[in-house]
Amino acid sequence: MPNKVLICDDSNMARKQMARALPDGWPVEVIFAKHGEEALSLIKEHEFEVLFLDLTMPVMDGYTTLENIRKDDLPIMVIVVSGDIQPEAQERVKKLGAIDFVKKPVDQTRITAILTDYGIYRGTPNE
Amino acid sequence: MNSPIQLTEDERDCYQEITNVAMGQAADRLARLLGVYVVLPVPNVNIIEVNEFKMTLKSLEGNSTVSAVCQGFIGAGIAGEALLIFNDASFNDIAKLLDYPGNLDRHEELEMLMDVANVLNGACIQGIGGQLDIDFSQSHPVVLGQHCSVAELLSQRENHWQKTMAIEINYTIEDHDINCDLLLLFTEDSVLHMNRLISFLLED
Repeated sequence: MPNKVLICDDSNMARKQMARALPDGWPVEVIFAKHGEEALSLIKEHEFEVLFLDLTMPVMDGYTTLENIRKDDLPIMVIVVSGDIQPEAQERVKKLGAIDFVKKPVDQTRITAILTDYGIYRGTPNE
Repeated sequence: MNSPIQLTEDERDCYQEITNVAMGQAADRLARLLGVYVVLPVPNVNIIEVNEFKMTLKSLEGNSTVSAVCQGFIGAGIAGEALLIFNDASFNDIAKLLDYPGNLDRHEELEMLMDVANVLNGACIQGIGGQLDIDFSQSHPVVLGQHCSVAELLSQRENHWQKTMAIEINYTIEDHDINCDLLLLFTEDSVLHMNRLISFLLED
């Protein structure tokens, strides 16, 4: 069974861009959620390596999702991926427990660096 | 008759996401200028007729009067206008944040309107252009009206717009009574051209 990664964003294009920014050849299964509520129920059913979470979303936004993850003590590392680059937004999500913040449009080098730093990605086999 | 411009669901999603990134950059600039946190909405992207456009604007207006600034942009076969509409009630709070003393006169309000318009319009237009690899030239901002109703605003511009792609961003500022709407309007020809430009973003 490959490890799983969850990408939560209301935009189909943003989800695809995020999936493309994962390290090449990383053997993970990518699962998508359209908003926070969908992400939360998936987190309760599956075990994920990491959640990439957008902030501005209908139904349940990223801030509320982070609050719920903390309230229910869900075992998942969250990297926030957002176009909201105000310093205040970055501070808030870190206070709410996100391990890092990546600005949109996402960039593969930055994603790979963060995943490596946190030991989530350990290089691709046979490289 | 030209064939009507349309957006597929993927194209609409793409414009929405591009706007999302651009308005984030603009909000960051405004946040730094005013020392506040700007609450970002999900932007609306629609192809609309002028009649529908009037209704959109009227719904923004509510009961209060508005002031508005318009700024054109053009580049790489794409042309449009950015229209920033301020609820007049917002001025007092902006004045406090910008340290204007005492009661505002019309001239000071105009100055503030221009300052905010420069920041928001400029950053948003350049943010969209940057993602599409277009270097947009911007015209000078023009005041469409101060303390007027939306109907009055529109009466001057009606001949300018027929059918248009409208991107609507409603900015509010946390803990302050400040509310403004940024509308980005693109001509029909521009939309056809932009649809070609974004097709590379939509490839699998």
